[in-house]
Amino acid sequence: MKAAPFDYVAPDSVEAAVDCLAENVGDAMVLAGGQTLMPLLALRMSQPTVLVDINRIEALQGVTRGDGATRIGAVTRQADALTDRTIADHAPGIPKALRFVGHYQTRNRGTVGGSIALGEPAAELPCTALTLGAKIEARSVRGTRLIDAEDFYLGPYTNALESDELVTAVLFPDLPHGTITLAHEVARRPGDFALVGLICALTIHGGTFHAARIGWFGMGQTPLRSLETERSLVGERVSGIDLADVARMAVSETDPADDHHATAAYRRTVGERVFRRAVSQALESA
Amino acid sequence: MSEHRIELTVDGEQIAATVEARTSLGDFLREECGRTGVHLGCEHGVCGACTVIVDGRAVRSCLMLAVQADGVQVTTAQGLAAPDGALSPVQQAMHDEYALQCGFCTPGVVMTLTALTAGEARPTEAEVRAALSGHLCRCTGYQGMLRVARRLSGANG
Amino acid sequence: MNDTSLIPAARFVGQRIPRKEDRRLVTGNGAFTDDVAVPGMLFAAFTRSPIARGRIARLDVQAAGEVAGVRAVYTGADLRRLNINFHQLYAPDADASHLWPLADGRVAYVGDPIAVVVADSRAIAEDAAALVEVEYETEDPVITLDQARALAKPIHPQMGAKSAGEAATPADPGLAEVFANAAHVVVGTIRHQRQAHSPMEPRGVLAQPKGSGELTVWLSCQSPHMAARYLSVAFNRPAHSIRVVSKDVGGAFGLKTQPWREEVAVIAGALLLGKPVKWTEDRLENLTSANQAREQEITVRLALDADAMLLAADLEYYTNIGAYPHMAGANSLAMAMFPGPYKLPRLGFTAKAYYSNTVGEAPYRGPWMMESLARETMLDVAARQIGIDPLELRRRNLITKADQPFTMVSGFVLDRITPRETLELAVEKIDVAAFRKEQAAARAQGRYLGLGFAVYAEPTTMAMGGPLSTEAAQIQIEPTGKVTAVVSTHSQGHGTETTMGQVIADTLGVPFDDVTVLEDDSSRGGFGAGAGGSRQAVAGGGAARRASGMLKEKVKTIAAHLLNASPETVEIEMGMVKVAGAEEMTTPLAKIASAAYFETERLPPGMEPGLTTQYRYRPPPIVFSNASHACVCEVDRDTGVVKVLRWVASEDCGVMINPGVVEGQIAGGVVQGIGGVLMEEIGYDEMGNPTAVTFKDYLLPTIADVPEIEYCHLVTPGENEGGFKGVGEGGAIIGPPTMVNAVADALAPFGARVLDLPLTPPKLLALMDNTEISSNGAAP
Repeated sequence: MKAAPFDYVAPDSVEAAVDCLAENVGDAMVLAGGQTLMPLLALRMSQPTVLVDINRIEALQGVTRGDGATRIGAVTRQADALTDRTIADHAPGIPKALRFVGHYQTRNRGTVGGSIALGEPAAELPCTALTLGAKIEARSVRGTRLIDAEDFYLGPYTNALESDELVTAVLFPDLPHGTITLAHEVARRPGDFALVGLICALTIHGGTFHAARIGWFGMGQTPLRSLETERSLVGERVSGIDLADVARMAVSETDPADDHHATAAYRRTVGERVFRRAVSQALESA
Repeated sequence: MSEHRIELTVDGEQIAATVEARTSLGDFLREECGRTGVHLGCEHGVCGACTVIVDGRAVRSCLMLAVQADGVQVTTAQGLAAPDGALSPVQQAMHDEYALQCGFCTPGVVMTLTALTAGEARPTEAEVRAALSGHLCRCTGYQGMLRVARRLSGANG
Repeated sequence: MNDTSLIPAARFVGQRIPRKEDRRLVTGNGAFTDDVAVPGMLFAAFTRSPIARGRIARLDVQAAGEVAGVRAVYTGADLRRLNINFHQLYAPDADASHLWPLADGRVAYVGDPIAVVVADSRAIAEDAAALVEVEYETEDPVITLDQARALAKPIHPQMGAKSAGEAATPADPGLAEVFANAAHVVVGTIRHQRQAHSPMEPRGVLAQPKGSGELTVWLSCQSPHMAARYLSVAFNRPAHSIRVVSKDVGGAFGLKTQPWREEVAVIAGALLLGKPVKWTEDRLENLTSANQAREQEITVRLALDADAMLLAADLEYYTNIGAYPHMAGANSLAMAMFPGPYKLPRLGFTAKAYYSNTVGEAPYRGPWMMESLARETMLDVAARQIGIDPLELRRRNLITKADQPFTMVSGFVLDRITPRETLELAVEKIDVAAFRKEQAAARAQGRYLGLGFAVYAEPTTMAMGGPLSTEAAQIQIEPTGKVTAVVSTHSQGHGTETTMGQVIADTLGVPFDDVTVLEDDSSRGGFGAGAGGSRQAVAGGGAARRASGMLKEKVKTIAAHLLNASPETVEIEMGMVKVAGAEEMTTPLAKIASAAYFETERLPPGMEPGLTTQYRYRPPPIVFSNASHACVCEVDRDTGVVKVLRWVASEDCGVMINPGVVEGQIAGGVVQGIGGVLMEEIGYDEMGNPTAVTFKDYLLPTIADVPEIEYCHLVTPGENEGGFKGVGEGGAIIGPPTMVNAVADALAPFGARVLDLPLTPPKLLALMDNTEISSNGAAP
């Protein structure tokens, strides 16, 4: 399984990287952590003409704060994000999801930005971005723009980026005071793709849901949120809801499919149960 | 296809070479650096047999390009024993606990364990087991590795 | 039956001696086939069929051949320039009219190799392989067992539409009557899915032809001698002209029993080109084109009397062995072993194997394991149906010491085995009573724990005839006093350098570290079949013991002569030759050896100088070992995911050379069994496209999926040399039914059968969700 031939460039600045992407529109692919792209190259399922390695761009590293958000550079390694104090303090939902991502070895190279840009439907980080209301910072020769995560995932492995745009950072806004986050997944073995994955951010003030964000992975063509269920919870007393009903409603808004590992029916059934178990545990310990 | 000049250190040895863009670090180590102890079990990042340490981190060498390794320090299982031949603590533990049979997955396991135990703090047994879940072994049923996890974490047997 | 007089006074045998192999393996200094490089080496890659069945209408290799760095492209037709006798290793006279290393005119499975490209690098070879132009007339393939047994069309036109082997017991008119009159008749169908052996090192070969007509082949194999012999026959070359070298092999489990299509194609390519060519199979190839195993189905009917004693069994067995199996055949050993260590008076069976447009079968660790899977799961089904404890059912029907020697209805003679004893040890270790309390409490909380047992006897050694009849050991005490042994065993993780070394060191009386065991090269030592059939401890150990014994006698004779003592008073201990009652005569073995080689005038008159012996040992055709395993698991009610909580292996493999090695072999097999029951599945869609082509989809168990296995060991020596018995395949035979029975016990309240493998979470969840539990918690 040796990759088909390609040219390789490793720009040391964002400007150089986007220039290269603009010059090679349609033929170039971005190499971040490589944990997903390298197997695709080896299997010859992807055959770019140019591989643009962004790992040497310092501006893409690091975690900073500003404007009520935590800005994670695209090339921040998953292992580093898992232990980063700033992220732990201001976006605790992220390490909760990260501990399910891949393995110890793959987290040493895999990046936050790379995973979020790729948008695997059964991956944790794209759903985390979607659920926590992240904004994806994208750069091209035409400039910089911020794309809301809820506008970012268009289909399986298809996102809102132009073909010459580069994800430079992902910004996670501070969640309101009183928000609890949870991440849970069912997988065959640790590090496997999720059969069913759930990420929630529930804001509770005085025993009442002030806001709710319910995100799923492995339950559709993209990560997705149960928007109607979220709306239905706002204003409800936490003690007054029937979790079974909420779970059913939340799952009814998903769109799982059959594959080699599980059926859609399985995913829906287990999704409801995972929701009930995970949310009730989170509410109890809140 | 582009070619690139790289310079890196492998097991303390300075290496300079020209590599094709598409050559993986694993292939480069095996074929150009004599590190045939780096084993390719799947070339898609699941089995872990190709794991090496790059700048202090355990990584899958099949998922890095050789050209990306310019300027780095790589350690493989062939670089761990002492000059007098004494096995490293991880290698000794694997040997003592019957943690290998055919030896094909072994160098990768050794490198993960080496990276985990490199720091001041001992990893917990759970951390070692979690890291070892990134390695596939078909021979041992992981029994010896479970014992090694206990031993390296300092937990009682 | 612990007859200690047969156990030698051992210093190393029986001890957990750390392995000799480890040093090179933990330091990454092993020599696996892909690690070998020779000057001018070229690399091979294959163009493979994307369709499961059809005619090759057009094949054009020109574009591929023109890629820079490509040296040759060979097709099936090109290989006919060599008169290759491509045959089945263990059935050399069987019909081979359909067998050819590369597809020639037709393709028979997705992945069928059509052309081999030889180039300066593997990457270039793959580039070129993608440029080979092929046009097909696609035909609807035969994929599933159901489709295959319909025999609607032949897989290989030369053979016509026929089965790949059939076997049956002679007609038994009384059998139907037994069933008609039986108090209990239990019927069930067990289906096992297709598995991939998936050794961590895929297949590999490096063929180096020399102008002198010699051929050196580095091969990832199970025996260099068997491979060399096979290649000599296949390529019509004198045996001495082929040398197979195989130092380290990363697992095989039966897949590498013989060189198969790609290996032979690559060797042929090297011969045609006159240059060294290497092929290293990658994982994609290994999961989609390397031979596979276990796709079987058996319908079992059991007849029992009112006391739950077995009266008869009637079996109907089918297996789908793909397009190019290593050996066509109906797996009749699986039928014949069905009675296991139980008193089963009557057995009837039909067994049929079928070809199909899928990857062919290779034997996989315990190829006959369906006997234990079917019997042990059906015994539990019978127990539930009759309403007695599965343990009690086994206790009533297992053979005891008093019953032995016991002749199975199929003719095998069971002797010196301990099925009841191992079962009771396992029961005690698990503490069944305590578990049942725990299980009841868990059920009250809606949690489902299960406990499963299985008991079996394993026919090891497999020295029934032909190449498997013997193994040989050549042992030499060097002039330095150190020992070099060349044994016809071969390790792919078995640790035979260590175990043979232990036997030799013990028998000779030398330190273990003074013994070097070589087994990697067909040009040294005598022929042997090597690994397979759980035979190496018995056959290799026996040869090593006998040869060492003979050599020790020679040393004693020479020493007695040199020291003026009588041979009976001479002993060798830890490399020192001692004379009883005369401590001052103690002499290092090296001195005796030096005399044997260099001071020949001092030797007894007429004695051959030097210290070398060889012995070729013929073990009994079958040596039975046995075990009982137990498993505790939990099935998650919400997700159907199974967690294995405890595993007990209570076993008797006779004299253990190295308990660490024995336990390692058992554990490896058990975990392969867990994988087979819970998560491994090679599948095909209706067009014959494989659905699990990487490790992301073909799921092997990880460290997170296994408990720490607990062992009980009994030692009932065999009658053979050393009292050793085989154990290598056992875990993979007894593991699956133990696991299935544990899951079935967990799900007993749902009354569902779990005989359709694999027991995936969706399958188990559907079983639980779709069944009403009656109010008293019993099965409906």
